[in-house]
Amino acid sequence: MRKTLTLAAVTAAASTAAAAQTIDVGTTASPVGLDPHVATAFSTKLITDAVYEGLTAIDTDLRVIPSLATDWSVSEDGRTYTFTLRDGVTFHDGTAFAADDVVASIERVLDPDTGSPQASRLELIETVEAVDDATVQIVLESPSAPLLGHLANIAIMSKDFLDAGGDPQQTPAGTGPFRLERWVPDTALELVAHAEYWEDGLPRAEALTYHIVPETATLQLGLRSGAYDLLPTADIASVVSLEGQPGIETLSTQELSYGLIGFNAAEPPFDDARVREAFNYALDRQQLVDVVLFGRGQPGAPLSPALVDWAMPGDSFACLTRDVDAAQALLAEAGYADGVEVTINVLGILPQIVDLAQVVQAQVAEAGFDVTLNVQERGEFIQDWRNSNFTAFASLNGGSIDPDGTFYRTFRSGGSTNVFQYADDAVDRLLDEARIGTDPVARKAAYDELQGLLACTGPIAFLTFADLHALTRDGVEGFALHPTRDMRALRTTAVPAD
Amino acid sequence: MPAGLRLITQRLIDLLFILFGVSILTFLMIRLIPGDAVQIMLGANAEITPERVEALRAQVGLDRPLVEQYFVWIGDLLTGQFGTSLWTGRPVIEEIGAAAVVTLELSLLALALAIVVAVPLGCLAAYARASWLDVVVRVVTVAGITIPSFWLGIVLLLIVFAVAPGMQTFGYVPFVEDPLGNLQIMALPVLSVALPIVANLVRMVRTAMLDSLGQDYVRTARAKGVGESRVVLVHALRAALVPVVTSIGILTGYLLAGSIVVEKVFTLPGLGRLVVGAIEERNYPLLQTSILLVTATFVLINFLVDILYTVIDPRIRR
Amino acid sequence: MTAALKAWRDMPTILAVAIALVAVQVVVAVAAPLLAPWDPLYQDVVARLSGPSWAHPLGTDRFGRDVLSRILYGYRSSFLIAFAAVAGSLLIGGTLGLLAAYYRGWTDRIVSRLMDVLFAFPIILLAIGIIGVLGPGTFSTMLAIGIVYTPIFARTVRGPALVLREAEFVTAIRSVGAVDARIIVHHIVPNLVGVILVQTSLLMSAAILVEASLSFLGLGTQPPTPSLGLMLVEGRNFLALAPWDSIFSGLAILFAAFGFNFLGDCLRDQLDPRLRD
Repeated sequence: MRKTLTLAAVTAAASTAAAAQTIDVGTTASPVGLDPHVATAFSTKLITDAVYEGLTAIDTDLRVIPSLATDWSVSEDGRTYTFTLRDGVTFHDGTAFAADDVVASIERVLDPDTGSPQASRLELIETVEAVDDATVQIVLESPSAPLLGHLANIAIMSKDFLDAGGDPQQTPAGTGPFRLERWVPDTALELVAHAEYWEDGLPRAEALTYHIVPETATLQLGLRSGAYDLLPTADIASVVSLEGQPGIETLSTQELSYGLIGFNAAEPPFDDARVREAFNYALDRQQLVDVVLFGRGQPGAPLSPALVDWAMPGDSFACLTRDVDAAQALLAEAGYADGVEVTINVLGILPQIVDLAQVVQAQVAEAGFDVTLNVQERGEFIQDWRNSNFTAFASLNGGSIDPDGTFYRTFRSGGSTNVFQYADDAVDRLLDEARIGTDPVARKAAYDELQGLLACTGPIAFLTFADLHALTRDGVEGFALHPTRDMRALRTTAVPAD
Repeated sequence: MPAGLRLITQRLIDLLFILFGVSILTFLMIRLIPGDAVQIMLGANAEITPERVEALRAQVGLDRPLVEQYFVWIGDLLTGQFGTSLWTGRPVIEEIGAAAVVTLELSLLALALAIVVAVPLGCLAAYARASWLDVVVRVVTVAGITIPSFWLGIVLLLIVFAVAPGMQTFGYVPFVEDPLGNLQIMALPVLSVALPIVANLVRMVRTAMLDSLGQDYVRTARAKGVGESRVVLVHALRAALVPVVTSIGILTGYLLAGSIVVEKVFTLPGLGRLVVGAIEERNYPLLQTSILLVTATFVLINFLVDILYTVIDPRIRR
Repeated sequence: MTAALKAWRDMPTILAVAIALVAVQVVVAVAAPLLAPWDPLYQDVVARLSGPSWAHPLGTDRFGRDVLSRILYGYRSSFLIAFAAVAGSLLIGGTLGLLAAYYRGWTDRIVSRLMDVLFAFPIILLAIGIIGVLGPGTFSTMLAIGIVYTPIFARTVRGPALVLREAEFVTAIRSVGAVDARIIVHHIVPNLVGVILVQTSLLMSAAILVEASLSFLGLGTQPPTPSLGLMLVEGRNFLALAPWDSIFSGLAILFAAFGFNFLGDCLRDQLDPRLRD
């Protein structure tokens, strides 16, 4: 008995020692500001995920779970949400977390002066108020099924910090497991464990350092030599090169984001639904997966197969299977019997997208699409994208756990990311219905119909769902990839002693 | 020396004019880059209304007229205010300073290494002129000039990883914190940057040596019976070093060009990465000031070299 | 004919070798479409990331495209970019330099100051800035390199032209009443050919390297167009699996830049009386 105890003590001591370590994360891009309400680029989210938390969180099975709110109830009419807040939570600046902070954070997102892109997710909110220190009530204009999921992404900031004029772009003040200690531009962001973190025993690591390493080849060598413990978003080249190497482990999961070709539905030739359908027929999605993703992913469809409750399989739609004859027939019908020239803007910073575009170019050529690729630098691409200044573009879109999250803003006429200028009455009607509907069966039926409408003649050719990969050194444990690329698992991550 | 003074004054006026031109060109160039800071911040698929974009633009001061923005910038510069970085909020000058230290160390070490290797090689080549040795040195140096330094960097990384996987090759540490670790990390980048410089210097030393070996005073020394090695080492070499010193201006350009790509390969937080990163992120305050400062330094070095040239070149002095 | 033959015979072996080397490279670049065994864009997906074989002498890249064919086409585009950039900057920079030197006064002052401003920027920094404005791509690269090299040619030409302008034979011709244009074209330019040849040759080499560097930084030629710098970048992530495109394209860049630099170097020796044997 005594002996066992000693052993247990030793093990505990050893694990404490092991936990007293820094997680060295390698990533390619510097964050562009650290305000999660404003900077929505992934390079920022990678870091703010460790610093901030929302009222809710989303687990790896895409279910909504409690985070800063321990519990909530929804009124009969689906318009009033009452949240019970977690007790004993402290912000990095030392202030205690209370209902005022939730109200201040949500109001900040909704304030037009903040310019938050997240505002459109909360636009149904009529009022948000603190009932008491531990209770927040949100009243909606109309019921909204996706609200709880959206709240997971609304970072809760300290009201005192905001009132004092603090700038979250530079000094984050969240409740998350890690606190920013030092930001050395273009080099590293050093974070340390938040001593008063609300969950006992977490975070397991004592510190977390993001190394900014723009070169993939260098990242690969750094992981092999032990300079980095974790590459949370490893590119496919690194994965196929390093997989199976001694000392390296690969994690993967299905991702919600998808590679796509977007069409300008207001300009020839893609204003003609037949041309969009022809493009779909001309694609060989399985080959895209095999060549570009080295087989690690799924052929594209309107919704990711990871959304098991919603997604219809790709073979439900004829146009998602390659048929060059059908493509040519449709093109001829649309008046392009001799083929058609199109230019595709390509988002240049994502190697996966540049690769997809090159194989797409070769594939659709056989059906009569003479594609010119215009690989663009990020700023230029975004500007053209926002101004609908394109014939077609190749990019990567993020998904959401509820179809409403991406469908509405993307396909609704006037939607905030409907840069395609796509407008279809039937689609609009179904989107509106499904948005305010609370009956799961009716919503499912509406989204099934929408998937059918969008798969072949929508403004997007869904290319692939790439698996998301992370590479770790042997012995790194507790990290898990998340389909939404959420980095919450960093709080449970531990690294081996060097 | 009133003539010399007049020359220097004239060159100083030129210098001011050039700096003014450089500042306008820099500013315009940066503002003409399509896609601004706000767009980059939002990412490639952000759901946002045009009004919100405008609000963000106003926050970072991009809503004011270009001319106003330029004069605000220049006025601030002249009063010693270099502005703050758009993303980190730190003073621009601090960020540039930190990056400059890295690039400076890389450049100086590369230059030192290059001089140590190149001077004897160049003398050898000149002395063995028209022999097979000269041809070999020439072919090797030309190849050295034309090796892409980023390719060399990658190849070196792979070789070192194969031979000594434990060697620390990335993750920058400042010299003051860990001198040994710093030098270890700098070894490969220095080698990658130095090689083309070595090759260039060898050519210069060779040419200058050939030149001075044919000069009267060397012939005189020889005729006086001074030993051959002494002729080469003392008389000819000293004269040959002049163009080496005066070509520092040109070499600075090479060093910077080499550093920019090599810093990317080895993930060193130097000026090259600072500038390229600032362009990618449209970090205007950081970008325009760093380009201006780097260029101003470049111009100043060339200016000093010009002055130096007239002072130390024996032929001009005569 | 006999004069040309004599010139060739009297040429030092090393210069002849250099000329031959560049000539062969130019022929390869021009004839790339005839020499390439495959369409450089054809994706032989089944055979991707494979090593050298009879079908693909230098292996294939990650889409199964033939590395040899891509290198040949990349060679062609490297040469084309370098040539267009250097020719453009020679034409504009050289003319400006000549005019500045010949007319002196305000022309000289304005031209020289403008060139000084451009020359003040470190080459790579200015090129990056210009491409930032124009957006990455082949044409931008050409233009950026061209602009960066313009002041170099202006300076190269202006110095010697200033000396020539005051040379006895020029003042003599001018006193006879010859027209400015005639003096410049027939008497000054022919005497500058040597200097220009050396500079052109060296800058061709440098331009090939700058193009590769810009492509390495993601600012040069964009996919799927074959480019040596781009191949090197794209291949380096797969170094562990299939280093073929990285290694061979790196060597091709080295080889392409080597030829012109070697030629320029030999020419310089040949034309500088101090260095001649």
